Amino acid sequence: MIDVNKLLAQLLYNPSDPVLFNSAFFFYFFAVFLLCYLAVSRSQQGRVWVYTIFSLYFFYKACGFYVGLVVLSAIVDFNLSRWIYNTTSHQVKKSLLIFSIILNIGLLFYFKYTDFFIGIINDVTNGHITPLHLLLPIGISFYTFENLSYTIDVYRGEIKPVNRFMDYLFFLSFFPKLMMGPIVRAADFIPQIHQPYRLNGEDIGKGMALIVGGLFKKIVISDFIYQNFVQYIFDDPSKHTGLECLLGVYGYALVIYCDFSGYSDMAIGIARWTGFKIPANFDSPYQSSSITEFWRRWHISLSSWLRDYLYIPLGGNRKGKVRQYINLALTMLIGGFWHGASWNFIFWGGLHGAALAIDKVRIDSQKKRKTEMSGFGAGLMKVGGVLLTFHFVCFCWIFFKAATFHDAWSLIHQIVYDFQPGILMELYNGYTAVFWVMILGFVLHFLPAKAELKMAGVLGRMPLAGSIAIMVIFIWLLVQVKSTQPMIPIYFQF
Amino acid sequence: MSGENKSAYPFYIIVGSLMCLVIISQLNFSFSFKDFQFRRLDMLSELRSSGPEKDSATLTAAKGGGKRSHADSTAAAAGKTPEGTVVNPDAVYDFMSYKGILNYTATTTGDSNAGMDRFMEALRELKAGKRKKVRIAYFGDSMIEGDLITSDLRDSLQTFFGGAGVGFVPITSVVASFRTTITHTFSRDWKDYHYKNSPPSNIMLGLSGHTFYPGGGSWIKYTPVKKPRLDKFDEISLLYGPAEATTININDRPYTLSGNAPVNKLDFRQDTSAGTITIKYGGGPAAPFYGVCFETDNGIYVDNFSFRGISGVELGRLSADMVRRMQEERPYDLVVLHYGANVLFRPELTDYSWYERPMKKVMDSLRRDLPGTSFLIVGTADKSYRKGDRYITAPGVEALLKVQHDLATTYGTAYWNLYANMGGSGSMVKWVEGDTVLANKDYTHLNRQGAAKVGALLYKAIMNDFRQGEQQP
Repeated sequence: MIDVNKLLAQLLYNPSDPVLFNSAFFFYFFAVFLLCYLAVSRSQQGRVWVYTIFSLYFFYKACGFYVGLVVLSAIVDFNLSRWIYNTTSHQVKKSLLIFSIILNIGLLFYFKYTDFFIGIINDVTNGHITPLHLLLPIGISFYTFENLSYTIDVYRGEIKPVNRFMDYLFFLSFFPKLMMGPIVRAADFIPQIHQPYRLNGEDIGKGMALIVGGLFKKIVISDFIYQNFVQYIFDDPSKHTGLECLLGVYGYALVIYCDFSGYSDMAIGIARWTGFKIPANFDSPYQSSSITEFWRRWHISLSSWLRDYLYIPLGGNRKGKVRQYINLALTMLIGGFWHGASWNFIFWGGLHGAALAIDKVRIDSQKKRKTEMSGFGAGLMKVGGVLLTFHFVCFCWIFFKAATFHDAWSLIHQIVYDFQPGILMELYNGYTAVFWVMILGFVLHFLPAKAELKMAGVLGRMPLAGSIAIMVIFIWLLVQVKSTQPMIPIYFQF
Repeated sequence: MSGENKSAYPFYIIVGSLMCLVIISQLNFSFSFKDFQFRRLDMLSELRSSGPEKDSATLTAAKGGGKRSHADSTAAAAGKTPEGTVVNPDAVYDFMSYKGILNYTATTTGDSNAGMDRFMEALRELKAGKRKKVRIAYFGDSMIEGDLITSDLRDSLQTFFGGAGVGFVPITSVVASFRTTITHTFSRDWKDYHYKNSPPSNIMLGLSGHTFYPGGGSWIKYTPVKKPRLDKFDEISLLYGPAEATTININDRPYTLSGNAPVNKLDFRQDTSAGTITIKYGGGPAAPFYGVCFETDNGIYVDNFSFRGISGVELGRLSADMVRRMQEERPYDLVVLHYGANVLFRPELTDYSWYERPMKKVMDSLRRDLPGTSFLIVGTADKSYRKGDRYITAPGVEALLKVQHDLATTYGTAYWNLYANMGGSGSMVKWVEGDTVLANKDYTHLNRQGAAKVGALLYKAIMNDFRQGEQQP
């Protein structure tokens, strides 16, 4: 029997069960939203209002009354940007921009980093300031960056501020990307609001491929490998052999990629189905043959944001080689810190920054000598580059994932000093399904982009009943994987 | 066709799929393929009024089983309590929830060595200065690897009763780098025979379940750590098996090993200023080595005998000669048996008679070979497993506790219920998911903080008994 109280409870925010795209609740939410959205589809303002109201409700389901922060920051930045645009005094423009930056970064810092700095102060001064234990408003890292890019773009004169507040609130709260990105630029997004809601076969096919593919990446690959293997290794690295630790790191490389890009793909697919095109956030990053290329393919919306609003304002490559390297390193360091308040993230960012600077030296020297290989040699270099880049990225993931520096070092220690390759078969027998999913994940990752296009094309030409059948079968399969009994951790067994 | 506006398609796809999924949910079909049971799809599960839950029903059944055994053992023990030294604890306490140590008197052997009596006596003598040393052999699986639990117990006991040093350390260990109570490195060429790799019949395993044979260039190195009572070495002894003219170098000083007994001991005092000790195999016949012990000339010592992946029944393979001889060289006043994680590999199993039978043999032989020693059986920790979408206590936990308790009552040992101390049913979930994380995501193993908590709880339980004994006339 359906319990009315439970139904009502489902509609309210529940801190222990925030809404995600891969929850049953989202399915119902999306259906009701699409119904209302279609009903008003002929009115541009009607679509803005419906989308915004559903977005704000979605955000409320995800993090309760922190939804107020989005509305508040929309009010502040909408008005500040207009003042910046309308004032003629350069001094006033600049002051308003600085005020906006301080306000946005201040809010982000308050929620995300207060406890981290309290910890540092306590360590340095032997003090006893009690941490605030603030609950981090979901998505704050993303909408803060969107607010900043908007006001900075207006200040730079690159875009005109929007006239209607509701348009800005719609842009900021747009639910597909609100929680986990991608970071969307107002300049790319706002013009799309004014276009009529029309979808063609390509939109349907691409959207479906992104949603289904994203779910597959998140649930079948990422969650499965993480829950059944990777988390055991990172929980207690020193208790696992080097071989287990190494495979755990490879597994984590897939987990973080599939988790993040899977969620991004779903967001982009959902947006596409509602008439908005958001550029891809990941482009098969492990296919990169250098770290510079990796950052062009990994979390593209963040790295391009950092490039445009941090690296270039710092001076980019315009102030000499040394400054360029420093700017690169600093950008990555801050990028690392953006991921979370911990020294591990800063170290991770620092490693990437240093690698980018070194890679810059290589690229420059190659340009100078005009050495370009071709044929077999180039192919070999490319494969070597991919392997080297992948392993460097994996090495950095250790620090990204490990709970503490100590854990990260003990994992590395195990790989270097306690490898024990002899247990491979035992390991395989203990985690057969996990390893096959890992192989599948890497094979799919290295498929050429053409294959994805082909799939989207097929889905786009599919009759409605076919699309429904695929969706149903797919979700039924997800349920099977989602609730499978976890594998028994290997170190019980020998 | 390309000009057609398909903006209603997403709605049709989503609503169409949703309707199909809800219909499939209502059909209530489920099927299995080979060992894989396909799950029923339920799109309305969050909305249904909750009926009687299957999970709690299974648990209640297991609990019922536990209670029955309680009554049985009460009856069994009631008639046979000798001299009244130990009042049958079952008459007063429920072993499934009691958090202190329960002391049983042997119902079969008539041995007067009941529960922790002898050990408590030893502690009192140590405290009164009537004896120099008390030792505990703490056997367990991966739960105690890397000196987890034992290091905290040792530290607390040594603070109260005196003593400094980690006790026994094996020649090599898979978790040497994890151990924070001594820095331990070794060469790769030691040949390790142990329970799991079917050693030849002529190899006698040491008390730790391992025997190590040196290769050509074998060495081991121990360095003290900067912690109270562990920051320098004092009395060091090497334990080895039958040896004839095997030579070793300890910090470059040559020694020749001899002795035909299953366990022999070479004592040497380290020049404390040297800090590190390096033992190198120097040539001659390759003798079996067991480990190195670090003590001072008095106080209490806790030896960590961890062995990954065993259930405890493996102890039955130790030779009686070796155990007896070990007791001569390095007498133990208390033997702790702490197993369970590897017995519960099938969480829904509730019949552990297959485990009880071989464990009885272990208890028979250990009781026989260590007659003056107290025994403490530590009941399994809570273990959770995923059922549906959430983690719950495995039904096997309470069933296994009953078996472990039955062993304690039958062999007159002490019994300490770790599961009850952790908080009983559902406690592992709290330990894993609480604000302070005390256990790992496998919902089985404690982390360092969790282990420290267990060490502290066990110390408290031991000290409660000790203080109660002190108050008696």
